[in-house]
Amino acid sequence: MAMVEEKGTKQAVEQVTTFESGNEMAALAAAQIDYHVMGYFPITPSTEIAQLLDQMKTRGEHNIQLIAADGEHGSAGICYGASVMGARVFNATSANGLMYMLEQLPVQSGTRFPMVMNLVTRSISGPLDIRGDHSDLYFALNTGWVILLARTPQAVYDMNIMALKIAEHADVRLPVIVAYDGFFTSHQKRKVQYFKDRAVVQAFVGERPTEFPNAADPKNPMTIGAHMNGDDLINNNYQQSEALYRAGEVFKQVAREYAELSGREYPVLDLYQMDDAEVALFLLNSAAETAKDVVDKLRAKGIKAGVISPNIIRPFPAEEIRQALKNVKALLIGERADSYGAHGPNMTHEVKSALQSDSENKTIVLSRVFGVGGKDFYADEAEAFFQLAIEAMEKGYAEKPFDYFGHVPGKQEKKLQRVMEPMHGDAFKTGLIQVTEDEETKRLKVKVPPLRALTAKPKRIAPGHGACPGCGIFPGLELFFKGIEGDVVVLFQTGCAYVVTTAYPYSSHKQTMIHNLFQNGPATLSGAVEAFLEMKKRGDIQVSDDVTFVMVTGDGGMDIGMGSAIGTALRNHKLIMLEYDNEGYMNTGSQMSYSTPMGHMTSTTGVGKTQKGKAFHHKDTAQIMAATNIPYVFTATEAFPQDLIKKAAKAQWYAQNVGTVYGKLLITCPLNWKTEERYGAKIMEAAVNSCFFPLYEVERGITTITYDPEEKNKRIPLSEWLKYMGKTKHLLKEENRDLLLEFEQEVERRWRRLKAKHEHPEL
Amino acid sequence: MSILPKKNELGFFEIRLESIGGLGANLAGKMLAEAGVLGLGLNGSNFSSYGSEKKGSPVKSFIRFCDPDTEIRAHSPIEEPHVIGVFHEALYKMVDVVSGLAPDGIVLVNSTREFDDIKRDLRLEYGTLAVVDALGIAVEEKTKVNTAMLGALFRVCDFLDPEAMKQVIRKTFEKKYPHLVESNIRTFERGYHEVRFKTYEAPESARGKAFSRPEPLLGYETQEIGGIISANANSIFKDLSGSRQGFLPKWEEEKCIHCVACDTVCPDFCFVWEEGEDKKGRKQMFLRGIDYQYCKGCLKCVEACPTAALSVEREQIGFAEQHQVKQKFPLATGGAY
Repeated sequence: MAMVEEKGTKQAVEQVTTFESGNEMAALAAAQIDYHVMGYFPITPSTEIAQLLDQMKTRGEHNIQLIAADGEHGSAGICYGASVMGARVFNATSANGLMYMLEQLPVQSGTRFPMVMNLVTRSISGPLDIRGDHSDLYFALNTGWVILLARTPQAVYDMNIMALKIAEHADVRLPVIVAYDGFFTSHQKRKVQYFKDRAVVQAFVGERPTEFPNAADPKNPMTIGAHMNGDDLINNNYQQSEALYRAGEVFKQVAREYAELSGREYPVLDLYQMDDAEVALFLLNSAAETAKDVVDKLRAKGIKAGVISPNIIRPFPAEEIRQALKNVKALLIGERADSYGAHGPNMTHEVKSALQSDSENKTIVLSRVFGVGGKDFYADEAEAFFQLAIEAMEKGYAEKPFDYFGHVPGKQEKKLQRVMEPMHGDAFKTGLIQVTEDEETKRLKVKVPPLRALTAKPKRIAPGHGACPGCGIFPGLELFFKGIEGDVVVLFQTGCAYVVTTAYPYSSHKQTMIHNLFQNGPATLSGAVEAFLEMKKRGDIQVSDDVTFVMVTGDGGMDIGMGSAIGTALRNHKLIMLEYDNEGYMNTGSQMSYSTPMGHMTSTTGVGKTQKGKAFHHKDTAQIMAATNIPYVFTATEAFPQDLIKKAAKAQWYAQNVGTVYGKLLITCPLNWKTEERYGAKIMEAAVNSCFFPLYEVERGITTITYDPEEKNKRIPLSEWLKYMGKTKHLLKEENRDLLLEFEQEVERRWRRLKAKHEHPEL
Repeated sequence: MSILPKKNELGFFEIRLESIGGLGANLAGKMLAEAGVLGLGLNGSNFSSYGSEKKGSPVKSFIRFCDPDTEIRAHSPIEEPHVIGVFHEALYKMVDVVSGLAPDGIVLVNSTREFDDIKRDLRLEYGTLAVVDALGIAVEEKTKVNTAMLGALFRVCDFLDPEAMKQVIRKTFEKKYPHLVESNIRTFERGYHEVRFKTYEAPESARGKAFSRPEPLLGYETQEIGGIISANANSIFKDLSGSRQGFLPKWEEEKCIHCVACDTVCPDFCFVWEEGEDKKGRKQMFLRGIDYQYCKGCLKCVEACPTAALSVEREQIGFAEQHQVKQKFPLATGGAY
């Protein structure tokens, strides 16, 4: 898109006007700064930042090492490791991403290593909600990081540049969060300006300070992270506390310098019509903008209204707030999160506490929780807030100091009713599937009927789910469930299958479904199965014996949840872990997973001048799980339905009689593989026949290939599979021949090794 | 002098695009907004409805334009737009697409049908209806629906410069897909020229389509604690037929061998089976038809079918309803649904 260049008259440096969102501006600032390292893990709505940086990298626009971590805990670890080397470090996250890395944040600040992280604010689970509020931000308040707020995409850019300078300042030496509203600011495009020449940004930020302790200099060895007792800790904490307060002064100084450079000012408090305001709203970030329009309207009617919105909340600008509220008669603090049980959320208490030390202050303070989980905030609602403040001013007191706003009682007649008679037990028993153990070999023999007979068995998942047309998940899951007789309790890890079957107030599950956080499904189901067995043993519950516990996960869940999966396998709980592998984090917009094969394009492994898709080979999860020595491991796909159903039946037998089972279903994702929806099954068949995805099982340690394309004379070159997919079409070009060859060799090496295992029961 | 034809009380000219994921409405919205902001120097904002929407689910894209000196502070979705662009006609079954339209507003619909039929289905009373066969143009030119819609939107928003947009299209495709430049420019031009208009005059007293902010189904007195849903499988009441993009599978019983290949690959559980007797009097399962309420038109079943029992059908309004065979579920209220 063409850009309009404006040669500012006031500004000495050239700025370009463009039309971008908050995430785009955060990525642009990071690219211009050219950080050394970004450790990240995708989570909505912050994910775009890593994607945009990846795109820029494929065009050679920056040199940041973008490291896709195994989860946010890992990403924070990568960032910490990089920052102790003295490098410039960047991260971005949201909601449970922040929660998962939370324990790292006080380490980063308490050991005094600067870095910058964008917190694209979003509601924390549970229930899960992917849209914006400040419940994540409030958990960051006690981490010892400096926290800047950015209300607009322009502020996101500007704050990102200021943030590093503040973080690295000799008086501060602390990590900095730039927080802005998920979706409202992260995804809305606005007219924004940026510095045309990155050298301007780099000159403003200054040279990387080298005089501080770091781990990169062997000539100057040091110990980073010694442990302490209270006598020493109190001094460390005092140092940190002082540094954070000093950051407030440094912010003012940096903001002044930045205003001179850019022409854009960021005072500690953004005060709108506060000079003579009698009623005011205190709001963080984007909501404050909406309220300003209402102030104009009220002022036209003669009401002295105003809005306060801080640009920095750590350190908390108590003195500035006292000054701003000196003559305000009633203030409403609107908060997009609660501090449950505290009679008001965090900002309410901090503002009240600031006022406490002004003995002359008479401001009536009201507090309202509003706009959580991305609930929109409309101008008429801001007006209702002012109305509450006006009422309090007129009465001289607040009738209800603390309340929620925007919650509704609902109508009794609309209460959800059971829709279907519960289907359980015999409803899912056909008696047509037989599994018997061979006394001698300890191998299982399975008899399954023709698929036609199994259409009499109801599906476990109801239609009406919201998956994309042609989604491979559901045929895969239902074929698996066809092989399972009787009741199941399923746990769905976060991912497409979960999201599209449970959009409140709708569920597409006929039997009980549990969801827990992304990385914790195996542990959760371990607890569920053990509690079930224990309660049954004690006679606390009267249920049949043959309930099968199945965890359903994507390949993403098996990345972030690998530790939990291995722990569960090692404990050998009687449950099945079933992975649908679509080679990426499709639910968040097709970021790479460790299961993405080499060279494949995703939104974080772009194809361009400097990079050709994913740089390393796909994870062999089935072999990793087999190495835990669980009784049964298998791979399967919808293109070979009988094979899949047989394996499901075996899986059930092992999960009921012996212990943990792991199975991987390869499935197509037409949207992100860029394939035609109708070819789903053909593409799977090609994946198997090219030996990219061999069908096999490891039963009590013995490997059996259940379908050998070579024996059947069906083997095809890998390119025959790759040609179907838009995400791999570059691999078939002459210029990428070496890359394709490397991929082919790895596929062949794994296939040969598998064949060797198949031939030698001791391997 | 403002070039904007109309403005609301905050000074905005507002456009709402109604679509389903996958048709490129978001990209069209972005290009439209950029044409105004970067091309004409207007101030503006652009964003989409947010969520975990998958391909085929309803999506909205919003564009606000205002004069360069007007500040944009509003973040909320556009409720009372001056222009509405409907990228996918069947959406009216799932979404009130014309909600909040001003009496003198313009609705652009991607359709091949007559003005009055569309007006009736959209429950539109007044305003200008603009119709363009964007899908037809896209199919003929082997391009995308959104480019044809964009052409028509430029005609509707006549303060924008279509020549500048053509330059953008040229630039976008030139480098990577030079062979697509001309067909895309033709698509844009055809959208621009082939759009037809009909105005339904509003009487003096007309107040436009009142906007109703969607209320949640449940509240704190009726929601089960913890967000639990005990009405399992209630998604069976959802109608997903609006996700289809013009094609559906057609089933012919006489050619069917009941092999289950279709059922095996169907992501949406559309195939209806029933026990019957085969020629020898043995009990056997038989395919009875397709429940089109859930069919998203992926056509995997057609590909899987070993005979010619399943074929691709360009969907005509009413076909699905006529050939519908309903799934039978054990409904709690008794009887089969």
